Amino acid sequence: MASLAVTPMADNFLVPNGTFFVELLAFALLLFLLAKYVIPPINRAMTARQDAIREQFAELDEAKSEASAAEEEFKAQITDARHEAARIREEAREQGAAIIAEMREQAQAEAARIVEHAHTQIEADRKSAAASLRGEVGTLATTLAGRIVGESLDDEARQSRVVDRFLSELEGAS
Amino acid sequence: MTGLLPMADIEIGHHVQREFLGMTFNIDTIISTIVAGVLVLLLGWWGTRALTKDTSDHVPSKPQILWELVVGEVNKQVNDNLGRVHPYVAPLAISLFFFILFCNWLELLPTELTINGHDVHLLPAPTADTNLTYALAAVTMVSVWTYGIRQKGVKGYFKHFIEPFPVLAPLNVLEELIKPITLALRLFGNIFAGGIMLALIGLIPLYAMWAPNILWKAFDMIIGVIQAFIFALLTVLYFAMAGAGHEEHETHEEYEDEQRRKKAADAAAADEAAPVPAH
Repeated sequence: MASLAVTPMADNFLVPNGTFFVELLAFALLLFLLAKYVIPPINRAMTARQDAIREQFAELDEAKSEASAAEEEFKAQITDARHEAARIREEAREQGAAIIAEMREQAQAEAARIVEHAHTQIEADRKSAAASLRGEVGTLATTLAGRIVGESLDDEARQSRVVDRFLSELEGAS
Repeated sequence: MTGLLPMADIEIGHHVQREFLGMTFNIDTIISTIVAGVLVLLLGWWGTRALTKDTSDHVPSKPQILWELVVGEVNKQVNDNLGRVHPYVAPLAISLFFFILFCNWLELLPTELTINGHDVHLLPAPTADTNLTYALAAVTMVSVWTYGIRQKGVKGYFKHFIEPFPVLAPLNVLEELIKPITLALRLFGNIFAGGIMLALIGLIPLYAMWAPNILWKAFDMIIGVIQAFIFALLTVLYFAMAGAGHEEHETHEEYEDEQRRKKAADAAAADEAAPVPAH
């Protein structure tokens, strides 16, 4: 190869030729195609992903605060429920005690009533028994006495006199 | 150029050329440019295919992660330097990165063939051709200048050429012109040199060449990434430099600070200028 110094200008590789314009056109075309069809979607995808990540972090924060709020609420409700339960238990106990006391009172009253009734009944029975006795004892006694004495004591006046005397003696003796 | 190795076999900067419309076209560069461009577009299609299939699923596919890595990093750089994700600058830097990366990596494919006694390199790295790197630098710098003028206005933009001192205007103009040339030649030189290294290694007998070949190709891969990264990063930085000063006075203190510095600079300039007539 000849030395560079004597190479004619047209063959010097530092001097541009018509290829220059082809390269200009080629690069302009490439730049146009990349700038129009490749780079914008890439940029959009990057932006979209960044937005998505940002959004997810925001959602995460929101979810976290929601969860802690829910936990707070849950705890508060648990505490409330415990208080409520304690209150209900206390109330129930009080109510139970009250019911027992009432029942006891009722039972006592009932018992007293029954006893009272029984007493009254007994008194009435006794009275009626005493009255019927008073009627029958006279007759029975006079009949017995009549049999013993052999004489009829059927005379009403006498009979009642005898019985009265007997009874008053009996009462006086007791 | 005669040494231990038969150097004459290496054709440096040789291209398969065709004449068309009175201009010369490097067919091999154009073909490999198309291949690299198609590969980038395929990667782009692969990356966007999965995400358009199901947008509600935010789990990215693997090629999508690759794209997001580059897009995210470039967006961050653009945002840091320009104050916002500029809708033109970011795609430009991303396209530059992927395109240059794939162009550089084409060098690694062993596509040198010998057909009818002629050595044909089917897919040479198109970035090893100055036509491509000049074109990329031109796109970048024209965009940068346009951005600067739109950010600061025609007056504001050209004012920065005479700052801090009007005497530095030639240097400032020169800097603006050097920027695209360095952009283009840095990339070209790195990849071109890589190709020459591979050609030199190819002259080593086959039983010994595999070790340096593997080593150099691994190294070249890293160079390819670094050069693509540098080109894209410098593009963003040039945009930042072109737009700098436009939104600088964010707070009153900052503005006052700057005014004070300007005054001091003016005073210094006056001091410097004063002794001159005395001589």
